[in-house]
Amino acid sequence: MTLSDMLTVENLTYLLNGAMMSLFIAICTFTFGTILGVIGAAMKISKSKLLQWIAKIYVDFIRGTPMLLQILFLYLGFPLIYKMVTGSFIRVNPYVIGIIAISINSGAYVTELIRGGIQSIDKGQWEACQTLGLPYGLTMRKIILPQAFKNVLPPLVSEFIMLIKDSCLISCIGAVELLQGAQILGARYYNYVVFLVAASIIYLIMTSVVSFFANKLEKRLAAND
Amino acid sequence: MIKATNLVKTFGKVKALDDVSVEIKKGEIVCLIGPSGSGKSTLLRAIKGLEEVEQGEIYIDGEKFDKKNIKQQNKMGFVFQHFNLFPHLTVLENLTLSPIEVLKMSKADAEVLAKDLLIKVGLEDKIQAYPNQLSGGQKQRVAIARSLAMNPEFMLFDEPTSALDPEMVCEVLKVMQDLAEQGMSMIVVTHEMGFAKKLSSRILFLEEGKIVEESSPTTFFENPKTDRAKEFLEKITYLQ
Repeated sequence: MTLSDMLTVENLTYLLNGAMMSLFIAICTFTFGTILGVIGAAMKISKSKLLQWIAKIYVDFIRGTPMLLQILFLYLGFPLIYKMVTGSFIRVNPYVIGIIAISINSGAYVTELIRGGIQSIDKGQWEACQTLGLPYGLTMRKIILPQAFKNVLPPLVSEFIMLIKDSCLISCIGAVELLQGAQILGARYYNYVVFLVAASIIYLIMTSVVSFFANKLEKRLAAND
Repeated sequence: MIKATNLVKTFGKVKALDDVSVEIKKGEIVCLIGPSGSGKSTLLRAIKGLEEVEQGEIYIDGEKFDKKNIKQQNKMGFVFQHFNLFPHLTVLENLTLSPIEVLKMSKADAEVLAKDLLIKVGLEDKIQAYPNQLSGGQKQRVAIARSLAMNPEFMLFDEPTSALDPEMVCEVLKVMQDLAEQGMSMIVVTHEMGFAKKLSSRILFLEEGKIVEESSPTTFFENPKTDRAKEFLEKITYLQ
């Protein structure tokens, strides 16, 4: 069997569809993860001990256990809990569960990123706002977060790239994305290497494109530093 | 009038403010002088509500000062040693942010005001610059203009020239002098003895969290009442 027999337009389209799924999952989980991260960071720097405590448990628990375990737990555990509470069965969609699980996971890391970004802003910025009569919300929105965002942009991009790659973990609950697609094709032709190489090239292209645009954005934001 | 009564503030074991009371009337220019660690910056910051005090009260025009009360906050402008301009905003935006957001001024009015103030401090050509494109002296002049944009009755300066290169001190002092001559009430923590001597109406000399001498500038510099002030002046005028 030659290379051109395996890398047909049909198969390549199949792989690209998988890549789109990987990207889709990365975008969804990044969005939800960032929202969770902003909430988590707000809780961590709040004055309420209870909120701080909840955020700390969330972050420590998620960072202290493997993501694969979290995905499996949600996929297998959620229907069980649902049945215990309502008494009826539920069929869960692996894509939905996967996105939820990875978002929760990513949110924990983003919480720490954003918390660090906010706390890295010089105390003088807060004080200047106070002397100018700006209330807390405005200070956050107009002064602290824009500067914090610039600081956390590089690690946030890393997080997004990580999500493009980590989206393959949901193949363990039956979802098909790029890597799983490559494995399916590999099994069909009894030749994994060709499709794994093809998949890795597609991963590399996706991550490089993201890095490229992130660098451009970073340079533009750094212009007035 | 600003009145502080019996302020006490400790950092660990150090008493930064040890039962300090002070009164500053409108039109006065009061300089706080003293060795480092004497509590002069802490006193200024406490008056503006930047420093929580353990005891004592601040009154502004007879009303108890609440740092969350924006109207009271706006009566006092504050200039920091390290400027604390907003690095991601242009000079113009630094000046207009608070007038627009806090005083609810229209954008156009705020910009006219900002331009007037920049002309006052001699920086009208830097209106679109970002703080990082300015020298230290220019940054401090922008910071002064930013405070003035809130139309304060008192201006508080916390060592405004201490972070500057020597050749830039003058331009900032000049702006402060202009303000003084226009009748602005000021409280100034400074090591610039020339400024204190020439422009202040009263000098408060602090040491170890206490006001140890309160004099007119002539008395303070020519014939200080306390030995401590005498010693301090001898040290800082060494080789002059």
